[in-house]
Amino acid sequence: MTETKSAIAESSTDPVTVATIWHYLQTSAREMRHIIDRTAQNYLIGQLHDVSVGIWLANGETVAMPVGLPVQFLGSGFAVRSIMEIFDGDLNSGDVILTNDPYHGGHNCHLPDWGFFRPIFYQGELLFWTLARAHQQDTGGSFPGGYFPNGYDIHAEGICIPPTKVVEKGRERSDIMKLIWNNVRWPLGTRVDNYAMIAATKRAEERIIALIDKYGVGTVLACVDEMTRRTEAAVREEIRRIPDGTYSGEAATDDDGTVLDEPVWVKVDVTVSGDEMTLDFSRSDAQRKGFINSVYAATYGNAVAAAIMIFDPALADFHNEGTIRPIRVIAPEGLVVNCQYPATVGASPVNVGVQVMEAVLEALSKAVPERSIAAWGKHRGDYVFAVDPRSGERYVRTSFDYDGSAGAVWGYDGYVAVSCLTTMGAVNRGNVEEEETRLPWIVKKWEMIPDLTGAGRWRGGPGIYWEAVNEGSDGQMATGSTDGDVVQGFGAQGGLPSPVSRCYIRRDNEDMLIAPHRLVQIKGGDTVIKISSGGGGVGSPMLRDPEMVLRDVVNEIVTINGARDEYGVVIDQKSMSVDFEATAALRAKAG
Amino acid sequence: MKRVSIDVGGTFTDCLVLDDGGLREFKAPTTPADPVRGVLDSLSKAAIASNQTIEGFLEQVEILIHGTTLAINTLLTGRGAKTGMITTENFRDVIEMRRGLRDQDVSMFDIFVPPYEPLVERRWRIGVPERLRYTGEVLQALDEEAVWRAAERLKAEGVNSLAVCFLYSFVNNHHEKRAAEICEEVFGAGRVTSSHEILPVWREFERFSTTAVSAYVQPVVADYLDRLQSRLHQERFGGNLLMMLANGLVQTVDQCKGRAVYLLGSGPAAAPSAALNLSAPFAGGDLISVDMGGTSFDICAIRRGEIPMTTESWVGNHRVAIKMVDVHSIGAGGGSIAWIDSLGLLRVGPQSAGADPGPACYGHGSSEPTVTDADLVLGYVPADYFLGGSISLSEESARAAVDTVGRQLGMETEEAAQAIFETVNAHMADLITEVCTRRGLDVRDFTMVVGGGAGPVHAAFLADQLGIGTVFVPSVAALYSAFGMLSMDLGRDFARSHVSRVDKVDPALVASLYEEMEDEALAEFAPMGIGRDRINFTRTAEMRYIGQFHEVEVPIPNGTVTQGTLEGSVQALHQRHQDLYSFSMEWMPAQFLTFRLLATAARAPFDLQRLEEGAEESPAIKRVRRCRWNGRELETRVYDGDAMGAGTLIEGPAIVEEKTTTVVIPEGFTCQVDPFRNYVLRKSLVNASGNGKRASDSLGGRR
Repeated sequence: MTETKSAIAESSTDPVTVATIWHYLQTSAREMRHIIDRTAQNYLIGQLHDVSVGIWLANGETVAMPVGLPVQFLGSGFAVRSIMEIFDGDLNSGDVILTNDPYHGGHNCHLPDWGFFRPIFYQGELLFWTLARAHQQDTGGSFPGGYFPNGYDIHAEGICIPPTKVVEKGRERSDIMKLIWNNVRWPLGTRVDNYAMIAATKRAEERIIALIDKYGVGTVLACVDEMTRRTEAAVREEIRRIPDGTYSGEAATDDDGTVLDEPVWVKVDVTVSGDEMTLDFSRSDAQRKGFINSVYAATYGNAVAAAIMIFDPALADFHNEGTIRPIRVIAPEGLVVNCQYPATVGASPVNVGVQVMEAVLEALSKAVPERSIAAWGKHRGDYVFAVDPRSGERYVRTSFDYDGSAGAVWGYDGYVAVSCLTTMGAVNRGNVEEEETRLPWIVKKWEMIPDLTGAGRWRGGPGIYWEAVNEGSDGQMATGSTDGDVVQGFGAQGGLPSPVSRCYIRRDNEDMLIAPHRLVQIKGGDTVIKISSGGGGVGSPMLRDPEMVLRDVVNEIVTINGARDEYGVVIDQKSMSVDFEATAALRAKAG
Repeated sequence: MKRVSIDVGGTFTDCLVLDDGGLREFKAPTTPADPVRGVLDSLSKAAIASNQTIEGFLEQVEILIHGTTLAINTLLTGRGAKTGMITTENFRDVIEMRRGLRDQDVSMFDIFVPPYEPLVERRWRIGVPERLRYTGEVLQALDEEAVWRAAERLKAEGVNSLAVCFLYSFVNNHHEKRAAEICEEVFGAGRVTSSHEILPVWREFERFSTTAVSAYVQPVVADYLDRLQSRLHQERFGGNLLMMLANGLVQTVDQCKGRAVYLLGSGPAAAPSAALNLSAPFAGGDLISVDMGGTSFDICAIRRGEIPMTTESWVGNHRVAIKMVDVHSIGAGGGSIAWIDSLGLLRVGPQSAGADPGPACYGHGSSEPTVTDADLVLGYVPADYFLGGSISLSEESARAAVDTVGRQLGMETEEAAQAIFETVNAHMADLITEVCTRRGLDVRDFTMVVGGGAGPVHAAFLADQLGIGTVFVPSVAALYSAFGMLSMDLGRDFARSHVSRVDKVDPALVASLYEEMEDEALAEFAPMGIGRDRINFTRTAEMRYIGQFHEVEVPIPNGTVTQGTLEGSVQALHQRHQDLYSFSMEWMPAQFLTFRLLATAARAPFDLQRLEEGAEESPAIKRVRRCRWNGRELETRVYDGDAMGAGTLIEGPAIVEEKTTTVVIPEGFTCQVDPFRNYVLRKSLVNASGNGKRASDSLGGRR
């Protein structure tokens, strides 16, 4: 490396070259995502974008973090470093390493997220790593999809792949891949998706080598260094603006799926001191028998992502290792935020992933009120596994369709219909026309519903109603990635919390309430009804502009009663206009 | 006979006339309140130039090709119709939930942005009972009474354009058609837009959103086209009026009236073909086409001579899924207004002074500083020869306007002008970088082809910033898109979705789909007297491996469709998949999704006139003017472009003035005139000398 270092020292880092190389790396990462997106066959990847990619330096420092799920890539430096250790002296150009293991050096969030890592060499020297990680259709275990409760231990949740070379010097190790595919339920489709991911890492390698051919190793690394330095300086400046002190936040998931109806808490103390920030999760609950545990790397990814959200949006395009350096995440071993082998982690990206982010956002909203961010609607992603009578084949339905909406931020109402906080809106919903063509379900209704979001000066995005009928076989439904029937997401600065959500199965005209974190039977002809709340509000609803409340009423996002009870706004039903006098009186009474 | 193209931009209306006398350019101010007037003004200018009355002139025009920014401006400025939507009951929020997508241009880490505002407010989206299965089978019959009630309610509420969007209308359009008929009875013809007509392709969000956009701009566009047509007929125009469309083709007015969304990229979609056409003999086909007019800055990256197309456009915040020429645009132009933001920083655009009142230097009463005002203060554009002197610019007004931001920045007038100039350049350079790198291209491998009134003033500075070595300024730079339209093919693309495995598809059915589309195309060409022998059909199909979510487009041979033809397409899928994504999967079965047909009739080719070689040894120094170059004031040579011969070589800093264009050549660049009077600007690596006749330097050496 000394040769490289002196080359860096001599390299020019004029602003145009820095910007060009930076954009190029970001673009290469986006191109990776595009390839996976375009070629994968798994609904979660191809349509809903449950996929992440990135580029790291040989030492595990983050270079480019474009769109993706924070939990899938923000903590990937840990995995890169442990792979370097495991394969010390045995890494070559053309190798690809697969892991999905939360333990054993994999530092992975949960088993369905498979990550393909590729070392990138230039003239024999390992300079970069690239990673494509995506949620697989299946990863073995007791039930499909990975989000089922009550696994005995991590081994019950699926096949555990520690960092394993699956491509060696450009040659697929077919026996190993066959062993792996033989342990999942849709080997053919999984094979397609795995090739898509491997192709993406190969494209990144080509792009990076072309970049180095053009500029030389020294300049490329110097520019990465320069961008990291600039980003770090800007982020430190951002942190310095936050008043020094300790701010607390806490959030809970409804239960752990094994010990029922007992919320599990994540608690954080955020200490800002000068230009550094410490996120200390030491007060959180101990790790659980149930599947809501989070390994350190996953907690780290979600916690850092939440902190980034509160930074100046002008920095949003530039985050890299420089962003991470001033932030320390403390999570003692054995807690729900740093669980140890063989704890189950199936629900981790949602629970307690969401709670990690909510706790940090709640704390930071106290520290920087003008960047307050309320909780988003909880994830409501049920997994159905059954048989499609049209093809006679088994299927698993995984979806973000039934989520509510985002929480409000200071200055704006919440986004409409984006999926839960840990996705940061990077995943999408499907089209009815695509879903009904693929799966034996008929969607009966899919619309926003009134009065099911956190009121505020800025309110959460609207709640959403989804109802569909099973035209396929009997099967099962896992509500493991669902949350929010009991514990509400927080509102900030006087905004109201996000209301609770509901799920029902209607059978023979009877509605059965289905709680989160359960595994239930589903029959042909059943109707599944999902009533999902929007996010929390920001600022007191009594401060909301009455004309905005009226507009919501006219658009049937808020009812006339809701306007009166939650916002203190009186609307005359006949003329459909605000009665300002009555409104003032009502709001005065409310204090 | 004459061929005329007219491009209505945000600021100017460009008119290009091609006849035996060659190519002639005319410009008139755009008249936003009634754009028809600007079109007629530009035609009057052309008529006067050939000593004709406008009637006499128009009688000789065989084809008039027209591009307009009307649709896109209507959409981006939110001035479209009060639009309603009638849709499948229980699904009225498709265009507002928009699949949970966040704004495309906003980083995932930036969440301080307002929620999306759909073009049709929720209160005006009404669901009616009806439902189809994915096969097209009717699950629930259309409740016609409900359609009547909904249409009448929307009409009573003052809605004046309607989108009719039902699930699966691309498989079975009966419900949608019937509902549209009822709505037309209530609203009148031309006010109802159906999704199966706009984009008969599956996936309801993309189809509904595109349809809503179309309905939103429809009344404004249709009213304009009606008025334009009737005015032209009044003036004895008897030729074909063709519209430039987003997909890079031209179409008769009647055929595009009901599909207003296709006029979104009208104008800008023509620029890439101008770039290719003009620079073909010169550059290799790796081109960045940039067009900087008064209001917007459009760019397109052309690789190996292939104009990029996309079905993945977002226009503003709205998803538009029709196939469009892949042109990217930002609000940066000569009319862009400079302002100070809440952090005390200088910003330029996206607001534009437009045509009226125009930049402060026009003297029409605006006191807001624009890019053109800065250009004038810096000495780059001539006060007395802007558009050949047809608009005289007031330097005093420009300076006063620039001072309004200068004072807030604590800068002298010239400094402030320099800051405005550099800010808008950086903004444009970023867009170019973004567009290139998004496709994995390095901007430095490209030649920049520059159009638009303000383009040649700024281009060399942009190139310098981006490391682009060569800038090509066509002689028709100021009427860039208009030129592109003249060389455009007439045509339309058609699509039919039919989801089927390749090994199970019925060739006869595929044949009938192509036949249907070909018949439709023939019927559209017939009124123009174009028969089958002159039409080129290009068949393609969108295919994928079973289970994938995205398609690739592969060619399908013309002629009889057999099982063999269709199986051949599988080989094409493997190849295309390999090219695009670096792998293919021969072991996976494949399926068809959408069959596409492109029907075109080639325009007659034309030649540009060649310049005489070398005209004269000491060309054309017109005058000397004080200009500011990176903070230094220099007496700068100004050349008369209209008097320069082919091969003439000029060294920067210098300025070339033409009637419609001012080319600014900064220090470190040379400029050579090519045989078609285009200017080729090159960054000089060393002191360029040798090839080419040097323009004489009456100032006695470089300063």
